[in-house]
Amino acid sequence: MPAALLEARHLTKKFPGVVALREVAFDLRAGEIHALCGENGAGKSTLIKLLSGIHPHGSYEGELHVDGRTVKFSNIRDAEAAGIAVITQEFALVDELSVAENIFLGREPCRRGCIDWLGMNRRASELLADFGLAIAPETPVSVLGIGQKQLLEIVRAMDKKSRVLVLDEPTAALTEQEVAVLLDHLRRLRTQGTACIYISHKLDEVFAIADRITILRDGASITTLETPAASVPLVIKHMVGREITDLFPRKPSLQLGDVQLAVRGLSVAPTAGEAAFLHEISFELRAGEVLGFGGLMGAGRTELLMHLFGAWGHRMAGDVALRGTPYPKPDPRTSIRRGLVLASEDRRRYGLVLQQEIAFNLSLSSLRQFVGFGGQLNAPAEHVRNQHFFNSLRVKAPSQHARVGGLSGGNQQKVVLGKALMTGPTVVMLDEPTRGIDVGAKLEVYELINRLTAEGKAVILVSSELPELMGMSDRIIMLHEGHLGGHFTRAEFTQERLLAAAMGRAPAAAA
Amino acid sequence: MKSASVFKNLAMPMALVVIAAFFAVKEPAFLGPRNLTQLLIEFSIVATLALGMFMIILTGNIDLSVGSGVGLVGGVSAVLVFQHNWPAPLAMLAGLSAALMLWSLMGTLIVKQRIPSFIITLGGLLIFKGLFWLVIQNSTIPVSRGDTDNLFSILTTYYLPKTVGLAVAAGLVLVLGFIQWRARAARASHQLPVPSVAQALAKWVAMAVGLIGLAIVCNHFRGVPLSLLILGATAFTVYFLTRHTPFGRYLYAIGGNEEAAVLSGIAVDRIVIGAYVLMGVTVALTGFMMTAYSGAATTTVGDLMELDAIAACVIGGTALKGGRGTVWGVLFGALIMTSLLNGMTLLAVSPEMKFIARGAVLALAVWMDVKLAKR
Repeated sequence: MPAALLEARHLTKKFPGVVALREVAFDLRAGEIHALCGENGAGKSTLIKLLSGIHPHGSYEGELHVDGRTVKFSNIRDAEAAGIAVITQEFALVDELSVAENIFLGREPCRRGCIDWLGMNRRASELLADFGLAIAPETPVSVLGIGQKQLLEIVRAMDKKSRVLVLDEPTAALTEQEVAVLLDHLRRLRTQGTACIYISHKLDEVFAIADRITILRDGASITTLETPAASVPLVIKHMVGREITDLFPRKPSLQLGDVQLAVRGLSVAPTAGEAAFLHEISFELRAGEVLGFGGLMGAGRTELLMHLFGAWGHRMAGDVALRGTPYPKPDPRTSIRRGLVLASEDRRRYGLVLQQEIAFNLSLSSLRQFVGFGGQLNAPAEHVRNQHFFNSLRVKAPSQHARVGGLSGGNQQKVVLGKALMTGPTVVMLDEPTRGIDVGAKLEVYELINRLTAEGKAVILVSSELPELMGMSDRIIMLHEGHLGGHFTRAEFTQERLLAAAMGRAPAAAA
Repeated sequence: MKSASVFKNLAMPMALVVIAAFFAVKEPAFLGPRNLTQLLIEFSIVATLALGMFMIILTGNIDLSVGSGVGLVGGVSAVLVFQHNWPAPLAMLAGLSAALMLWSLMGTLIVKQRIPSFIITLGGLLIFKGLFWLVIQNSTIPVSRGDTDNLFSILTTYYLPKTVGLAVAAGLVLVLGFIQWRARAARASHQLPVPSVAQALAKWVAMAVGLIGLAIVCNHFRGVPLSLLILGATAFTVYFLTRHTPFGRYLYAIGGNEEAAVLSGIAVDRIVIGAYVLMGVTVALTGFMMTAYSGAATTTVGDLMELDAIAACVIGGTALKGGRGTVWGVLFGALIMTSLLNGMTLLAVSPEMKFIARGAVLALAVWMDVKLAKR
């Protein structure tokens, strides 16, 4: 067995009131890709923060070894000096600076005390070329796509002579194509001896790339599997501690109700005066059904939802009707009052006030319900209503007064959904409702979708994951560069057809 | 988390005790009824302004123009009373209307034109100062004609008769007890946990001792000052708005995450303009009190008061980024700020040193804000 490059023994990390890690054991060999799997809150992030020096030595119990020697990181720099580089979901890039400036940020090459611009840009273009990236070193980072930013972070880490790359959910926002590129790079780095800790909820990726898989649950390391000996159901079983039989428990309604939302010939531009981004979109949505929207990144799914809700774009043509009544000038306030709600894909940015309590967030869109005598909020009534949603959504937190910022992704998502549902909507638009949340929480979201349609609500589901889209939708519309790419009923769902429609090669079934 | 909040809760009372002890040792008159009454009047003036600022800062905005605004509103009313012989209430109404107009204008510009509040109100600071000096013609305009008192001039010189002061304090104690009891009953009827009877009673008794004690101390000089009642009414209103109405909840939400607030269906524009209009009201109230306290509108009235108000908010734990803060904190912050200024005046500290001390306290407060925000 090769010697461990990085080894953790008996790691225990306590926060006030919570044990985040208990007696965790983990080892990483040189030149391997080691996946870390577990539900949100299982302790993956905490483990990474220990490995990377964010939680300094002394704040935890247990030992860390690099190359067989005990190390005591007191900050991120110590960890970087030992060759450990962490790439998180929030990039550590300065948008306003160029690609080259970002690569060399904090260690700019200098000549006689001045920045050596020519040398820096030349070195940067060499590095980029090594990675097969066709980006000019003087490009501002702000114009790069998410996938390119991700790779840029890796370029930077490699130039710092990192031996261990820690990737936290690197593909959460990437298209399938970008994912393939990223995985190829990681495989190439592996042959050069770079080790990688890979965290992802997407198990197919994990199986495509990892040599070994370590599973965490409730802060404990459950087991480490050699990938060839593992299987998706086995990993899921270890992650949730029980077996999940049906990944997508969609139960289509037997009878659909009236048309709730009718969209005809909708064309939308980002702002007045610009060219259209969405072109002649038409569809109908009935009570009790789930209409799925798919498409590649930038196809306009999120923009369509945001526009219908009234938070994006300038309508150039087309009509929208909510339960038969025209709705020409949408804005979020009116939409909510008329029963049209949106749970945004970016919950931290658009969904939640992170420093406030769960209760504050849950009732934020529904305060009108609780206004009583003299404009005063009826606090007890509000509390009761919040408690109802807190319980029925099974938010895992000590109480409804816990801060939202401290919750795991799945629980934050439940709060976002609860906020939308408390307003008493008839049309619920869910934009990537399961992004970045774990299997158990995903199931709960799916069950919630079933419950909503059973109650006669209409649901729009946007998802980048085709299995989810196919599993949970009754009908699917694929978008392609702002156009309708194809319309499919449940019997017509196949990955090939949907993908073809997403790429603009629609079969005859186009609507 | 827990230890941090305990520290936060105890830091301010401790700072206040240290400051009071320091001045009391240096000059025992600091804690005498005469000086305490004086301090309470100055406190009322600063705290009223700080309460308006509090709502602005909650939304993540700022208002640098309030110091000049205080001078301007007081100046307009003084000129109307002294030079145009208007009855004081009417003159004050005119001053209030001017403030409402100016602040709704600034709020609208900030919201609709998307100009940062820092810039708009910095412009306001200069423009209002210029208008103020134009209005009073760089001279000194008394707030009343001759020696006759009017509603304007008595704002900081009228004291409640001793029995009335005590009665008001006692009445407040009863009303607060009643409100507390009502809230408790409402919670219980919804099967929510309620604090134990002993705890509730202890809280009420502490409140009673505080309020009646305050009245007694004031009565040792001339009685409860009218300005304290004005502050009380303002504080109650702001407390009610921020804690018990959707408007207040929205202020916190906007400061915490404006984009999320918009998507939650909150009329962010209207709420922010509303906060500025309320700021205008407190500027007017402070303008009247401050000008009356100076006895006349002169070019220096209101100087640097915007900084005292911001400092009071920040010392009291209001986050400059918005979304965090309480009325109690702001009142405490204002009390600390006023105690410092009052104590230094009493010790005849030179104006130079007062400026330096004021600046140091402001910097210290912001540093604390940064520290606490990191947690």
